[in-house]
Amino acid sequence: MQSTYRLTRYFVSTFILFAGFFAGFTVKAQDGKTLFQTNCASCHQVHKKLTGPALAGVEERWPNKKNLYAWIRNSAAFLKTGDAYANNLYNEYNKVAMTAFPNLTDQEIDAMLAYIKSVPAPGAAAPGGAAVAAAAQEGDNSLLFGVLTLILAVVALTLLQVNSNLKKMADEKEGIVPEKPVSFFRNKSNIAFLSIILFLIGGYYTTKGAMNLGRSTDYQPEQPIYYSHKVHAGINQINCQYCHTGVYQGKQATIPSVNVCMNCHQAINEYKGEKLYSEDGKEIDGTNEIKKLYKYAGFVEGKPWDPSAAKPIEWVRIHNLPDHVYFNHAQHVNAGKVACQTCHGEIQKMGEVKQFSNLSMGWCVNCHRETKVQFKDNGFYSIYEKYHQDLKTGKLDSTRGITVEKIGGTECQKCHY
Amino acid sequence: MSKNISFLLLASALVLVSCSDVKRQPGSVYMPDMAYSRAYESYADYSNLAQKNINYTGTPVAGAIARGEDLPFHIPMDAPGDTTNYTASKAVKNPIVSLTDVERKEAERLYLINCGICHGANLNGNGPLYKDGAGPYPAKPASLVGDAKYEAMPDGQMFYSLAYGKNLMGSYASQLSRKQRWMIIKYIKDKQQEGKAAATDTTAKK
Repeated sequence: MQSTYRLTRYFVSTFILFAGFFAGFTVKAQDGKTLFQTNCASCHQVHKKLTGPALAGVEERWPNKKNLYAWIRNSAAFLKTGDAYANNLYNEYNKVAMTAFPNLTDQEIDAMLAYIKSVPAPGAAAPGGAAVAAAAQEGDNSLLFGVLTLILAVVALTLLQVNSNLKKMADEKEGIVPEKPVSFFRNKSNIAFLSIILFLIGGYYTTKGAMNLGRSTDYQPEQPIYYSHKVHAGINQINCQYCHTGVYQGKQATIPSVNVCMNCHQAINEYKGEKLYSEDGKEIDGTNEIKKLYKYAGFVEGKPWDPSAAKPIEWVRIHNLPDHVYFNHAQHVNAGKVACQTCHGEIQKMGEVKQFSNLSMGWCVNCHRETKVQFKDNGFYSIYEKYHQDLKTGKLDSTRGITVEKIGGTECQKCHY
Repeated sequence: MSKNISFLLLASALVLVSCSDVKRQPGSVYMPDMAYSRAYESYADYSNLAQKNINYTGTPVAGAIARGEDLPFHIPMDAPGDTTNYTASKAVKNPIVSLTDVERKEAERLYLINCGICHGANLNGNGPLYKDGAGPYPAKPASLVGDAKYEAMPDGQMFYSLAYGKNLMGSYASQLSRKQRWMIIKYIKDKQQEGKAAATDTTAKK
């Protein structure tokens, strides 16, 4: 009996609490935000022009609230009343009619207007920038190490000098006549030692230089636009194939044309992520780089874009294979299921792209010798019936698999023809 | 002698300082005529070919259809402010009636690469570029599943938007072939059906 009483009391009190909560509940700015995002946000921004005008200060522009309600609920009908401001607006935005929202109540529209008022203008405050800059300053200790080595070398030399001086003084005291000193560069053992060292160093750099002729590992040219793969493919998770469409079907991975950039950048016209630095340590203004894209695209913000006005961006080519080698992206990516990063490195972490592999023949052949072909569930290799058979019967070790070499991947004509 | 040593030290210090580890030049090649193609390759500058009396056009003949490609979409793009063709596109039927398992997998792959970035992997309009407003994209992308407007939108009208762009969405004609576009639309329509079926399932259980 006691417990039932306690239970009812508990329920009653929660009920009262909830009732109180709902009684004080009216449509507020928070609901305005959800309403705004579901109904308006695909065409309108608060402080930026998109398909439709920026909505900040819309109430000041529409002194008669009744008209504003009517305009929002059914713009086409309101245009017919001949309101001059509405008609001008309609023409300014290329006669794109706004979707009608007959179901919105006055209260809901007020909530959205309250939300629009509550959004602060951009650029008001952006804390946290300094911390990122400080973090980027650290990390390069090579200069410090260099200075330390230099100091130690100087100390060692001085000590040697002091040692020889002391020895000379001691000899003088004991009356030993010092031999006539041979100058440093006339001393035969010194000459032999120096020439051997010079030969080794010279030989090392000559061989290294000769081997690197025509190989451009780490080549990282400055591009016409600071395009960061780290921001696009890393942080924003855009798939490589969104832009490099051809990689699955053709020889070339294809460089995206300007219209592919503009798919997103018609709307994304400023950069608000973490600070960007070029490889030389210069700070990059992301928004300014997007402006450079607009110049190539012939796009003026707030106006509709005419794709035929675009000019191609002349990117600097990084990866180059000599004319006598055939390489096909689709064969590696589509049939071979090789990840982009295998050859291009961790491209999703690169601010500026650099050549990761040396693209030498040894590098190609080595990979063909070691890489196992994905035989399983891959229609492309179904033709190798004997290998499939042998794998099944255990004649071939399935853990070692079939390498590219086994299906002719190291034959000369495979790439040179 | 000490003069010599100090000179050596100074020189080595200079070499150390002047060496930046950013490689802005590609380096030299052994045989430039082999390394750099004499033939016109992809992305070479074609602009001066006419001066050399070479006739070349980078675009196929008008009306050419690639092998394996679907027939063209005959509705042209609307002039700005006009919606006649957009409305007319409702009548165009999807040539793909149903997707096989392989096709469905391929359509999903294409959807995730090209559409998922905004419209979300779950088709809820919350892709990584929007992330509930935390991403860089300023506007909420359309929810393809669960929004009556897009559930009711005919395939042909979706194709119109994919081919010519709509509102903030650009044209995907350069990234997706006509066949791929129809496949993706079929995939979206299938997902919408699944969503509806799941919704009626749960209401029926209640």
